[in-house]
Amino acid sequence: MRVTRGVKLAAGTALLALAVAACGGGGGDSKESGSAGAQPVRVQIAEPQNDLIPGNTAETSGSEVVSALFIGLMSYDDNKKPVNRIAESIESTDQVNWTIKIKDGYTWHDGTPVTAQNFVDAWNFTAYGPNLQQNNYFYSVVKGYDEMNPADPDGEEGPKEAPEPSAKTLSGLNVVDDKTFTVELTHPFSGFPTMLGYVAFYPLPKAAFGADGKLTADYGANPIGNGPFKMSKPYKRGTDQTIDLARNDSFKEGQAKVDAVQFKIYTDLNTAYNDLRAGNLDIMDQLPAEAIGGAKAEFGDRYIEQPSSGVGWIGFNVKTGASYSKNPELRKAISMSIDRKTITETVFSGTRVPADDQISPVVAGYRKGACGEACTYDPAKAKELWDANGGKDVKTINLNYNADGGHKEWIEALANNLRTNLQVEVQAKPYEKFADILNDLEKGKVPGGFRMAWIMDYPSPENYLRPIFATGGSSNYVKYSNKEFDELLKKGDSAATFDEGLKYYQQADDIALRDLAYVPIYFYTTNGAYSTHVKNIKIDPFEHIDLFNVERA
Amino acid sequence: MGRYVIRRLLQAIPVLLGTTFLIFATVYALPGDPIAALGGDRLLDPLLVARMRETFHLNDPLLVQYWYYISGVVTGDLGTTFRGVPVASFFQHKIQVTFNLAITALVFEAILGVLLGLYAALRRGRWQDQAILAFTLLLVSVPTLVSGFILQLVLGVKLKLNTGIDFFPVAGIQDGWRSYLVPGLVLAGLSVAYLARLTRTSLMETLRADYVRTAVAKGMPRRRVLGRHVLRNSLIPVITYLGADLGNLMGGAVITETIFNLPGVGQQLFQSVYLRENAVVVGIVTVLVLVYIVANLIVDLLYAVLDPRIRYD
Repeated sequence: MRVTRGVKLAAGTALLALAVAACGGGGGDSKESGSAGAQPVRVQIAEPQNDLIPGNTAETSGSEVVSALFIGLMSYDDNKKPVNRIAESIESTDQVNWTIKIKDGYTWHDGTPVTAQNFVDAWNFTAYGPNLQQNNYFYSVVKGYDEMNPADPDGEEGPKEAPEPSAKTLSGLNVVDDKTFTVELTHPFSGFPTMLGYVAFYPLPKAAFGADGKLTADYGANPIGNGPFKMSKPYKRGTDQTIDLARNDSFKEGQAKVDAVQFKIYTDLNTAYNDLRAGNLDIMDQLPAEAIGGAKAEFGDRYIEQPSSGVGWIGFNVKTGASYSKNPELRKAISMSIDRKTITETVFSGTRVPADDQISPVVAGYRKGACGEACTYDPAKAKELWDANGGKDVKTINLNYNADGGHKEWIEALANNLRTNLQVEVQAKPYEKFADILNDLEKGKVPGGFRMAWIMDYPSPENYLRPIFATGGSSNYVKYSNKEFDELLKKGDSAATFDEGLKYYQQADDIALRDLAYVPIYFYTTNGAYSTHVKNIKIDPFEHIDLFNVERA
Repeated sequence: MGRYVIRRLLQAIPVLLGTTFLIFATVYALPGDPIAALGGDRLLDPLLVARMRETFHLNDPLLVQYWYYISGVVTGDLGTTFRGVPVASFFQHKIQVTFNLAITALVFEAILGVLLGLYAALRRGRWQDQAILAFTLLLVSVPTLVSGFILQLVLGVKLKLNTGIDFFPVAGIQDGWRSYLVPGLVLAGLSVAYLARLTRTSLMETLRADYVRTAVAKGMPRRRVLGRHVLRNSLIPVITYLGADLGNLMGGAVITETIFNLPGVGQQLFQSVYLRENAVVVGIVTVLVLVYIVANLIVDLLYAVLDPRIRYD
């Protein structure tokens, strides 16, 4: 009978559906119900952008994992100063030629020793343009970089391809023996050792390279590192929801206190936060902004708040901008009419703090209140300064921002500040994407103010000054150029010691603060929390959790 | 019937070619440089950007880019994402996740929707009927975003913290089929409401039909009247709705997949459109079009089972 057949068919479909639903995800790990001791420490990340290769990892999620798997020549102490790690010594008499000696006893996860050659191989690979490594640009300080990265004759949009590089290795690198190599830079740079703690300068083992001199695909999924943790199984990027690491028991500096770490990949911070509250996640170093108020109360001692390396500005094109962009006094008036405290507390719910220097508090060289009066909210004085310098003739202030980064709210708040305090019309103009505003900035087509931010590459004050304010700097969208400033940077670069260099950098910083081509608005903070299962959580200037010292509670 | 199926499947080929090109062109027309966007707030080295643009043929005109893509597809190469992952490798996994979710939702939807509609129709005008109508109104008015977060908080977090019952995971797919229960329910919510109302209306119409009155007058048992005459004849619009909804559930699960961290197609589609990953967007849309085509074909074939007057020859 037909009815029967119909019912059978329907029932059959439902059963099939259940079967399909049941087998899905069966490949994943089932939740452990055993003792807490068997459970790995679970850390929230987003999906790493690239394979877990130090030279190609520039974002925070990937580098979180990479810095658990690898260690570099240097690391940073509690005062944010570089200290030797694999390096025995890093010396130079002229700040151009550096001799790097490495310690005995560090090994790769496969048991082979870490040698000078491993560093040179990794650096050459990353610096070679056609290898498309994201951290390639870090090597522009090393001699021979230009030969490995010839410029594209018709720019990045043009159809012509960049010519073949004329060199495959950095001419400035030389292996002396197993434990020693030398580096020749293009110019004196006293801050060179501070760069060496960053993932871009980590070594790679012999096993990483195939016969063609490229990294093998296998290595990208299952890297052999030299750090306190090693891969416990290969990671299939784009498919796996976790990256599982196990303790490296033969690590020279001793054993990590936990035997396993699991990075859990989330696309939504709120979801991860709920998992943290339910005890399915142990550490988050980035909380959703709307959860911060509640997190302080709910997590108490287990809530973390500390400065991170980012700085947010409003920039003004000082060469071809509008009248208020070109006049330093008007820029100062704008700066003084911004209520940084209210903006950071209300719009950002405390995920930012008011900026009072061009240099971030996470690096040595930051001075509290260096910006002084210019970064202090004083509407009356701001208006006075504004009127005294021809601000009355300014019809409209334009504020440009990219709409894809959640900047609308604070730009609007800032616009309101200017409207009320300077009695001037303010127009906030969104660009759809960050890349679009960069395009217009490069062409000098943004006359008004614009939002910009900087995240450091390496913890040196120089990194907050040269790329941004030096003549022709890579992120100098304000077209600022000051001879005295450039000279001071050079002096800092050729200083004999880190501390002496600091002095010159701070003098340069004073000039940048006086001219305010970029008006510092806020510093980013790291807002994190952790579960009751773990303790001793520390986060370094790169926003990496110090997993080596994490303990089970 | 076999010829009918083959004809329908052949019709799918031009549809697929047309959609892939349209989607490819749309993504191409989006503003901004996808390579520069990889750097986020940090600037990428212009040399690197230039080299990557060349690797992915981004400097070529639309038709040339489409040619590169489609000739790759024909030879079995679905391309790679800008992050260097071959599209084919994660595709299967993501579609599996979304399929599991959609089927779970569809099962919830079919069972709850039809039962509620049936019950309401049989209790027409009484308080049970009114209550079901009010309930469906509530379901329709609460957005997925809200119901998702509330159910996640109540069943995933609070239930575990307050009672120690750790049955519903907060997020992820590590817990096998249990991972799909709450998201499936959330995703089904809206459709349950529509389906219940659709079933109710359709049933009430049939209940008034002459042949039902005749069957009752003949003294046929109530169960048989309902099952054989009423339900079967009222289910045609319901089946049509379910079939079309499978496509919606697969493509429209963006919010649910994000809230519950299910690495499925919806989540990927959103990210890929944002990142202008043409290869991924086109690939996913192609699969979704296929799902629509197959689901609609199955629906049409089911008509014949439900209504003997319909034949395909």
